[in-house]
Amino acid sequence: MKVGFIGLGVMGRPMALHLQRAGHELAVWARRPESFVDLPARVCATPAELGRCCEVVFTVITSSADVEGVALGRDGLIEGMAPGAVLVDCSTIAPEAARRIAARLAEKGIAMLDAPVSGGAQGAIDATLAIMAGGEAAVLERVRPLLDCLGQRIVHVGPNGAGQVAKACNQMIMVAAIQAAAEAMRLAGAAGVDGAKVRQALAGGSAASRVLDVMGERMVRRDFAAGIEARLHHKDFGLVLEAARQSGVPVPLTAAVAQQLNALMAQDWGADDTASLLRVLELGAV
Amino acid sequence: MKIGFIGLGIMGRPMALNLIKGGHQLTVWARRAESMQPLLEAGALAAAGPAEAARGNELVISMVADAPDVAEVMRGVAQGAAPGLVAVDMSTIAPAAARRIGEELAAAGVDFVDAPVSGGEVGAIAGTLAIMAGGSEAAFATAKPAFDCMGKNVVHVGASGAGQVTKAANQIVTGMGVLAVAEAFAFAAKNGVDRSKVREALLGGFAYSKILENHGQRMLDRNFKPGFKSWMHEKDLNIVMQTAHELGLCLPGSAATAQMFNAMVGSGLGEEDSIAVLKLLERLSGQ
Repeated sequence: MKVGFIGLGVMGRPMALHLQRAGHELAVWARRPESFVDLPARVCATPAELGRCCEVVFTVITSSADVEGVALGRDGLIEGMAPGAVLVDCSTIAPEAARRIAARLAEKGIAMLDAPVSGGAQGAIDATLAIMAGGEAAVLERVRPLLDCLGQRIVHVGPNGAGQVAKACNQMIMVAAIQAAAEAMRLAGAAGVDGAKVRQALAGGSAASRVLDVMGERMVRRDFAAGIEARLHHKDFGLVLEAARQSGVPVPLTAAVAQQLNALMAQDWGADDTASLLRVLELGAV
Repeated sequence: MKIGFIGLGIMGRPMALNLIKGGHQLTVWARRAESMQPLLEAGALAAAGPAEAARGNELVISMVADAPDVAEVMRGVAQGAAPGLVAVDMSTIAPAAARRIGEELAAAGVDFVDAPVSGGEVGAIAGTLAIMAGGSEAAFATAKPAFDCMGKNVVHVGASGAGQVTKAANQIVTGMGVLAVAEAFAFAAKNGVDRSKVREALLGGFAYSKILENHGQRMLDRNFKPGFKSWMHEKDLNIVMQTAHELGLCLPGSAATAQMFNAMVGSGLGEEDSIAVLKLLERLSGQ
């Protein structure tokens, strides 16, 4: 199949390569041309040009505004993609933005799935991402063979926007768990107890979790080099809180964790791993 | 002074009336024609839109709901503006939005002051609002006689946006203040202690505040009529939290408070006064 890919960062690049290796014909566009280096793909000058030569286009970019620009802006996908083509947006954006973009594309007969992913850079490299899809079930079935190249767990959550709602829920639970792990590690350290041992002990019990496993280990090793950059979680928390506000749903814990992320940003740790929440707790230490 | 006034709601109407009482000549405009009527009866002229409200005036004042409304109104003002016009927005909007509107107006030769108020409908009627202004010295000086008709404590805080920053700070203090008083009352009641006595005792000490005195009394009276609607306080705290998010600023207390107001809006208390946060607390604790 002719597949387009926009957004060749930490997540997008390995995802694009999986599609290419599975035998699909890859076309790419990126704002920064250096992203194409070593990529066996046709390079397009604009998203519109990419849209013209592809049946399915993937986007993995940062913000609602970025996706909107690439999809609907000047020389955007909407100008190139044919009726019946599918945009699969794997970015994490506001559910409302996803619905808006889908509606605009639908006017031209272009289908869209919001299909944000979870699993991080390692999940993208290993093709073990969790993919949460919003859109029409029939559209998902058409692109499922492509998604199978990227992840193991592909769930159709509901109509457009539902995938992004699921991703927002994912981020709430995950980052709150990172904060919990950081607080536990901080308490252990302050009490003179070896955090590595605590983590090891907890791994067998009810508090065991993937976050404690992966992020807890980074905290123990004090390895704050980014898996996923904390600034992205900070961005996502802005989306989550806005969604909660629009629904009139109180999210007291999420709001508290968001303040820790704000403090993290103030320390200029946004490009580091979110395990840096541990360092935020240490700011008050004597 | 010849003044244009845009937005004649709960706050705007009494503020405009006080300007007329102060001897100023008013041209008014509001989206809903019927809200202009009381002002026309008091001697104001009617404008057909924001541009006309600005035309031929030294000063134009807006009091509307939210940033997009202010931006729209001020685009009209810029069209009707003569050189040297000073435009004042007294709505509560995000500091960043106020700065942006100030820049757009400056490009059109209009000097802008953001001057949000505190004191509610009561303060607007009595002409005792606290007014916190951001903008140039010269523009503030032009607007000062008008401010003096509407408010008592008028402070020029700083450059463009500084008024809105101050208002956001005000909403942090009042939002947490109302919640603090409500929590203290819920605490007293659950312990079987008479909260009116608690209020009385606290009024003499370090916990004294206007909120404890006035809002506290209304909580005791269970008078939840607005006043200041909780959905508006939620909106203002959202400005605080979004600004904190953009700046990388840790505000744990405001964040928790904002969620309480969020819950109020979600649970049907949005149209009640912000002191109805007491009801929410009682619900949460099964009181």
